[in-house]
Amino acid sequence: MTDPQRPGRDERFGATGSPSSSMTWPPPTGAGKIGTYVPPLLESLGRDSMDPGYAEAAARRAVDPQGSGPSRTSQVIAAVAGLLMAGLLFGTAAGATVSNEPRAEKARSALLEDIDRAQTHQSELAASASALAADLRSTQADLGAAGPLQTVAELERASGSTAVHGPGLRIVIDQGNSGDTSGVGVIQDRDIQLLVNDLWAAGAEAISVGGVRLRPTSSIRQAGGSILVDNRPVFWPITVDAIGEPSALQVRTVGSAGFGRFSSFAQLYDIQFDVTAKQDMALPAGSGAELRYAQGPGPAESGSSGTAAPAPAPATATPSPATPSPATPSTATPPTTPAGSSPASSGSTSPVPTATATSTS
Amino acid sequence: MYAVLALVVGVVVGLFVHPTVPDWLAPYLPIAVIAALDAVFGGLRARLDHIFDAKVFVISFVANVLVAAFIVFLGDQLGVGAQLSTAVVVVLGIRIFGNAAAIRRHIFKA
Repeated sequence: MTDPQRPGRDERFGATGSPSSSMTWPPPTGAGKIGTYVPPLLESLGRDSMDPGYAEAAARRAVDPQGSGPSRTSQVIAAVAGLLMAGLLFGTAAGATVSNEPRAEKARSALLEDIDRAQTHQSELAASASALAADLRSTQADLGAAGPLQTVAELERASGSTAVHGPGLRIVIDQGNSGDTSGVGVIQDRDIQLLVNDLWAAGAEAISVGGVRLRPTSSIRQAGGSILVDNRPVFWPITVDAIGEPSALQVRTVGSAGFGRFSSFAQLYDIQFDVTAKQDMALPAGSGAELRYAQGPGPAESGSSGTAAPAPAPATATPSPATPSPATPSTATPPTTPAGSSPASSGSTSPVPTATATSTS
Repeated sequence: MYAVLALVVGVVVGLFVHPTVPDWLAPYLPIAVIAALDAVFGGLRARLDHIFDAKVFVISFVANVLVAAFIVFLGDQLGVGAQLSTAVVVVLGIRIFGNAAAIRRHIFKA
């Protein structure tokens, strides 16, 4: 199979020296100089694409036609064995690639499932948390601690930890459809921050952005093209619901800087910016505030309050406004700085609760 | 003809028998495949040039595969595995293209 016409082949090679093209070894200087000619690297890369060994072997045979080379059968066997190996290698590699592919895919989908499960779990926990909070409030109301509980209810509403409903404004904003798919659109986090802050300033009592209720410590920020409210992504179009006295809210919002910015955006960039007054809107409860428990001063730093009071010591307590301990409802009154002084992050200012238009649901 | 048959049989056996590749060997398999491709194309071209030599083919095949795998292994140990893999792929790829072009000229005279 490998060389049907050995003499003819040898003769042809010997006669032409460099057969058929300039791409073959040996270089035109002749077969005798093989071994001394070292071509430059790049040049040889382009020229010696075939193994020079073939030419050398052919040259050897040309010198010694019926020499001590291997017989034709052994040539065939060797070639077959080599090609069998090569085929095995190809097949194995293809098989390994094919069998590895589902593994990577499986790992990826398993991760996705994990994410889904964790998100489901999170929403379940959030639902049970608000159910428990409702239980807690009804129990407290049954116990009849009216005065303190009123304060608690107001603080809870101000801190966004209860669902509320009432009249207000609904603002729907959406990125313009100007074909800009680069991810970062016209509207950015700071624009929404400005709008929300203006709504607070205009007298809104509760605000949700994209269905996420704002708390005094909520943040509105941007990660790439998506807006995160309280670290939860919200999607375009974003609905900003503000509960408050609608006409006053609308009048004062229209004069604000945020409203002006969005109006000019709507004119310049063709974004969607719709403001409607609603008679009754329901806002969900925000995610619960992180509980921080008051602790008595440790022995090392017993400077501020002399008595080692284990229970809520107002001197060192860090009041978390919305979450009074259920067993001691009277301790909920000390936090006199409920929302205004809590560390409001960049997203929102703090509401001043007036408790006129809304009622806890 | 035997040679082509052997290649096909090898591919089929490798595909259907599914020999398990040990994990330490898996990273070198792609490079070995490139090296083997180079040897096969070189052999085919030599065959068309009527200078094929089975000994040269087998030795170049084995040496190509081993050297390519060894270079990548060495690169992995030195922390430049990816770069050396690229170097091997570039060099062998150029050779494969050169051989394929010569084969094409032989077959199609163009």
